[in-house]
Amino acid sequence: MNRLRLWLLAVGGTGLAALLVAACLDLPRFGGRSHPYGDRAVHASLRRHIANTIASVNFDQRAYDTLGEMSILFAAVLGCVVLLRQTRDEHRAPPEPAEVARPVRRYALLVLPVALVTGLYVIAHGQLSPGGGFQGGVVAATALHLLYLGADYGALERVRPLGVYETTDALAVSSYVVLGLAGLLAGTAFLANTLLPYGTFNTLSSGGTVPLLNAAVGMEVAGAATVLLAHFLDQAVEIEDATEEEPGK
Amino acid sequence: MADAVIVVTLLLTAACATAAVTQRDPARQALVLSVLGVVLAALFTVLQAPDVGLSQLAVGSALTPLLIMLSVRKTRRRGRSKEDRE
Amino acid sequence: MNGWILAATLALGGGGAAVLWGVTTGPPARRILAQNLATSAVCPALLLLSQGYGRPSYVDLALLLALLGPVGTLVFARLLSDDLAGERPSAWGLTWTAAGLGLAAVVAACAAAGPGRAMVKLLVIGVLLIAGNVIASRALAGGFRRVGGG
Repeated sequence: MNRLRLWLLAVGGTGLAALLVAACLDLPRFGGRSHPYGDRAVHASLRRHIANTIASVNFDQRAYDTLGEMSILFAAVLGCVVLLRQTRDEHRAPPEPAEVARPVRRYALLVLPVALVTGLYVIAHGQLSPGGGFQGGVVAATALHLLYLGADYGALERVRPLGVYETTDALAVSSYVVLGLAGLLAGTAFLANTLLPYGTFNTLSSGGTVPLLNAAVGMEVAGAATVLLAHFLDQAVEIEDATEEEPGK
Repeated sequence: MADAVIVVTLLLTAACATAAVTQRDPARQALVLSVLGVVLAALFTVLQAPDVGLSQLAVGSALTPLLIMLSVRKTRRRGRSKEDRE
Repeated sequence: MNGWILAATLALGGGGAAVLWGVTTGPPARRILAQNLATSAVCPALLLLSQGYGRPSYVDLALLLALLGPVGTLVFARLLSDDLAGERPSAWGLTWTAAGLGLAAVVAACAAAGPGRAMVKLLVIGVLLIAGNVIASRALAGGFRRVGGG
């Protein structure tokens, strides 16, 4: 039986390898001059006054795909929240405050606002330079957790009302859908970028609905990452099994 | 010659990824993984995909290590308390 | 291929190989030090690449790495503080060499960019990179004592 399985694996693997090699031989040469898809995407992006073509692909030409990705993140975080909830046989024990060296604490408290501003900057410039809602949202969420690294979990919990972040997360997802529906009501199509003026090329307000969708994704990702990390932190730091006699040293 | 930087980063990425798989301890794997994330971001930059590189940097440099290390801490603590009971 | 990209290739190749060797061998303390050095080696390389390709917007990558790289090292320093308790890894020679590499890259990029907003951004990156590098080394050399349950 085992041998048969190995044979099957070998045959399947060889077949797959042969197909992959055959496909690779047919690919266009690395770094060639002809990019049919790229050229069309750049033209479409410039027509809508969006400087960063990737933002145009994500939030204009393929905005519907981004809605799917957003829902995946939302559902994944929801699943984690359900899995990591506090069960009946677990109890919470507040952790002892940690002793952090002064330079490290100062660095964390100084970098926190810088990182928050950087996150907002990356979200706001999504349609102008590399970056966007996802990247900026993650940076902003990471920035908050400098409080845990530089001080302790108690300090983080005080500035992080979890309900607010959960609501933000849900509101951001719905606002993306509402922006899409607005296009439908205006008489064009779901998520069509025809609602707002395209603005001046290479300014913050250019690109029609792209900056708004970017902001919605940024809010969603920042909320989702914070909620996710909060449940991981709860489990790792506060929640203990009933069988755990003393907090881990 | 112009592709030297691409070759160097590709080799580095492959070496880091292999090293991450061959480590046994999850904490050490997380360390190699975070280095792999940084190298991968450099590879994306070299291949002119800065958006993807930024995503990789944002997720790989602090968020993923934090999630992995928190899980490691939880499982270690649980393992220790079980040992104490037995 | 211009001089900027050549310099970035050298930083990536040399720094990357050294970091990979350090992060896969030896005691935990040395591995975290190597992880910290990954930031200090790749961030200057990203700055040089941005100059080499003539795309100022690529500087954002270096900004994010200078900001989040040390945060990643702090995560390891804090959550592995049990493993670090016995040993006080301090490689100040290496740390300051890495800081010097960052400084050189920032100064070169500033000289090429000329005064203006781009230069301010580069200087912010330089400060974040060097401060982060030094603080992360400090955190490894006994920055987190008695973390306990937290």
